[in-house]
Amino acid sequence: MNKMKLSSKIYSGLIFAFLFAPIVVLLFFSFNDSKSLSVFSGFSLKWYKELFNDRNTLATVRNTVILALSATAISTVMGTAAALGIDRLRSKWYRTAMKTVNDIPMTNPDIITGISLMLMFVFVGRLFGASNSLNFWTMLAAHVTFCTPYVILQVLPKLQQMDKALPEAAMDLGCTPMGAFFKVELPEMLPGIFTGAIMAFTLSLDDFVISYFTSGTGFETLPIRIYSMTKKTVTPKMYALATIIFFVTLGLLLISNFVDNEDNKRLREMRKNRKSTYTRQDDTEENKPTSGKFKKPVAICLVIALIAGIFFFGSRSREPKVLNVYNWGEYISDGSEGSLDTIAAFESWYEDTYGEPVTVNYTTYASNEDMYNKLSSGAVSYDVVIPSDYMIARMIKEDMLEPLDFENIPNYQYINDSFHGLYYDPQDLYTVPYTYGIVGIIYDANIVDEADTGSWDLMWNEKYAGSILQYNNSRDAFGTSMYKLGIDINTTDQSEWDRAAQELIAQRPLVKSYVMDEIYNMMESGEAAVASYYAGDYFTMQEAQASHVDLKFYYPERTNFFIDAMCIPKCTQNKELAEIFINYMLSEEAGIANAEYINYASPNRNVYENETYIEDMGEEAMEILYPQLGDFSELYNAYAYRSLDSDMLDYLTTLWETVKLN
Amino acid sequence: MSKLIELNHISKSFDGETVLDDISLYIRDNEFITLLGPSGCGKTTTLRMIGGFTQPDQGDVIFMGERINDVPPHKRNVNTVFQKYALFPHLNVYENVAFPLREKKVPKKEIDEKVREMLSLVMLSNFAERRVTSLSGGQQQRVAIARALISHPKVLLLDEPLGALDLKLRKDMQRELMNIQKSTGITFIFVTHDQEEALSMSDTIVVMNEGKIQQIGTPIDIYNEPKNAFVADFIGESNILDGVMLEDYKVRFAGHTFQCLDTGFGKNEAVDVVVRPEDVDIVPVDRSMLCGTVTSVTFMGVHYEIIVDIQGFKWMIQTTDFVGEGEYIGISLDPDAIHIMKKSKYSGMFGDYSCFSDEVEELTIEEEEGPAPGGDAEE
Repeated sequence: MNKMKLSSKIYSGLIFAFLFAPIVVLLFFSFNDSKSLSVFSGFSLKWYKELFNDRNTLATVRNTVILALSATAISTVMGTAAALGIDRLRSKWYRTAMKTVNDIPMTNPDIITGISLMLMFVFVGRLFGASNSLNFWTMLAAHVTFCTPYVILQVLPKLQQMDKALPEAAMDLGCTPMGAFFKVELPEMLPGIFTGAIMAFTLSLDDFVISYFTSGTGFETLPIRIYSMTKKTVTPKMYALATIIFFVTLGLLLISNFVDNEDNKRLREMRKNRKSTYTRQDDTEENKPTSGKFKKPVAICLVIALIAGIFFFGSRSREPKVLNVYNWGEYISDGSEGSLDTIAAFESWYEDTYGEPVTVNYTTYASNEDMYNKLSSGAVSYDVVIPSDYMIARMIKEDMLEPLDFENIPNYQYINDSFHGLYYDPQDLYTVPYTYGIVGIIYDANIVDEADTGSWDLMWNEKYAGSILQYNNSRDAFGTSMYKLGIDINTTDQSEWDRAAQELIAQRPLVKSYVMDEIYNMMESGEAAVASYYAGDYFTMQEAQASHVDLKFYYPERTNFFIDAMCIPKCTQNKELAEIFINYMLSEEAGIANAEYINYASPNRNVYENETYIEDMGEEAMEILYPQLGDFSELYNAYAYRSLDSDMLDYLTTLWETVKLN
Repeated sequence: MSKLIELNHISKSFDGETVLDDISLYIRDNEFITLLGPSGCGKTTTLRMIGGFTQPDQGDVIFMGERINDVPPHKRNVNTVFQKYALFPHLNVYENVAFPLREKKVPKKEIDEKVREMLSLVMLSNFAERRVTSLSGGQQQRVAIARALISHPKVLLLDEPLGALDLKLRKDMQRELMNIQKSTGITFIFVTHDQEEALSMSDTIVVMNEGKIQQIGTPIDIYNEPKNAFVADFIGESNILDGVMLEDYKVRFAGHTFQCLDTGFGKNEAVDVVVRPEDVDIVPVDRSMLCGTVTSVTFMGVHYEIIVDIQGFKWMIQTTDFVGEGEYIGISLDPDAIHIMKKSKYSGMFGDYSCFSDEVEELTIEEEEGPAPGGDAEE
């Protein structure tokens, strides 16, 4: 018996550990002094400080809260009204039908809700000829759509438990029907309304999937922002933010449970007393706190939430001049760690120069494909986007970009001459390069013999079996073997691809694992010793490496180049302003801030020839970021990935499967 | 005593089903009137019409000489004690009782005075701050009464208010309600399906069935002179037999001719004959016209309830003398034990005591697939 108890205790302990371990880890590392997720280098509130200095993140937090409050207010009112309506339906069949209909949005996968809402908004938007039909209001409508059923679900049982004679009794005692509703029915429903509101709030707060599909120009919520940080790593600021959100949500949950408990207690008492017989002497019993006591604060909270929501609505949307910028996550200097907030700097510079205010709506994406899908939905309007080279080629081909007016971009003269006439924009009509990067090999000098380095062979070296990381992404993985074998990376010859696949199959036994973002932690902690990645990201790893790890970097004989460039999509609303923005990003002050923040190489002479920048980066970094490998445009045109046609892509996918399954 | 409320030719149906069928009724000031009938008879609908929660399809509700069909509940000088009390769970006892006064914006001090007074009237002075959900059924009942009385309505409507209480408590509350009615002088309209409750409390009883009023009268009238088989059966116990009124004071039933006190029927008119079980005397077989075998004996405390099978008709007799089961006995009826009623649609529906309830009766019929039972003692 005792043993049983012990084992069941251990079991439930394990379950709780399993449930809460991730949150504990997150909490723990939000106080880490360094960026690493594997090495705890001391307690610090640094990331919390960073968080509260990060204007953009705070703006998305504000957006998220505004959206959640507005959605909560609207869905609470709508859900309550709907519950009242359903409860008063005469026909039982009809009532059951309504309840089932109400369940559908809740059981429906988010992705379906998201896609269908987006389609509807875009469709309706087109009908009315709106250029950017996705905006704050569509997102709000989407959130109200998925929150309302939960409110109904919470309020309806309260109505069904309620004695139907209550409103009649109130009217009998002198209340108007309206008065009876507010003085008697509403207080009875309030616990349900409150729980429903809290559920709606938390659901809206952390919704990603539906928001992702229905978000538009200039209104970004926190989950979307965090998602788009995957190009670089998620900054520990976000751990701090997540920790705060966790505790806020926990608080709300505790409150709602408390409300529910009070309510259940009352219900139990009511049932008990209905059965019990009358005894005159039970007046010695202690006076219990009246249930009315917690109702008032609840009502006040609700009203505040409502007013706040309405207030925030009102405060938006009277902005004079707006520039919508769509960029990778973590891909601009945002003022953290003492850096320059380039967006804010642009806004104030613009106002000083042109004498009128401008607001930059800055939103982020996680991949070229995400950006492409959003733009091609036709429901958004962006003025500046920063895609990668192969995507630019595709967008030019599909006539999605505006030719630039370089009169407005005088700083273009500072772009390195090597960046002219590259394959994706051969006549330099559409693009201004933003950053570029070169893939190299990162290794742990404490494990890898210096003599073994220098070429791609290191990744096939049996001495380091079990310490080698390979990309978990077909194009990049094939890249390593094709550069090694000297095959044209964009070849259309299937046999060449077969050859590269054989090489990857041969490498397979040596590979510790196929990774994407995990590479950071595995290299920093010394779990793996060899991997290929971008030079800029090497610095991030080196900064966070554990004490027994000594990361080094070199460029092999042939390697991959990428360029991300600023472009203006066809959907722009203010092309000239966009060009002014692009020009500003090329200025010394903004260019250096961005380059130092992103840690990738800059094609801008204002940056890479600037002495302060050179000094800040240090000799080693400058050598790695700006290597002398030969003629840049020649190497770039030879080794950069280009779009493959769909047959080739299919073939590649099949080959990649055989590699992974072999 | 003047007419306080009049219901004139009221009809009401829900979803095509007639609930009230041309009801007319008046209620006098200061009266304790009871609407009595089985469930579904329309008594609660009648009450709700007076309260203002239901509007009649046809007919008028007159209150102190004024037609109030369209006056909403909160403008009627009438208050209700609901079946399940309908206390407001989010308010404590004090606030529940104070509710009507707060609605009327009565000054705080006056509210406090009146609430205290009311709570002491219903003996709940010590419970003012308690949550209503923590009270027992009887206490909740008192709160409901206090709440309904505090604004001194002209009429108090009570919808089966004692149904949820146990027997002893119910008796106490009955007496208390009667005392409150006397001391306040407020007209009480009381709805119940419990005939004993109706008999013991009311000045006037309105017996209802199937949306129609069957009989209106004092408790004594209704018991002693039921108008038809339904009333006779519903109020108290009755042996109901088919009979023929031969002439004034002479009725023939159960194969014999009896002296009675009734007049005014046609010659040889078919009638229903009611004999209350306590009016039947047990006599030796040789001195009786009606003899039969005792089929069951039940001890009821003050008396025995025995069922005697006389020529296939099961008589119920209440007697203080013990008679054994299986005994062959005779019965005799005094003229004042016999009550004659005109034939009605209920004739034949109620008869002997093969079963006590209609429900069991129906079940046994279905099982036996026999003919409908009735007062077929004559043959």
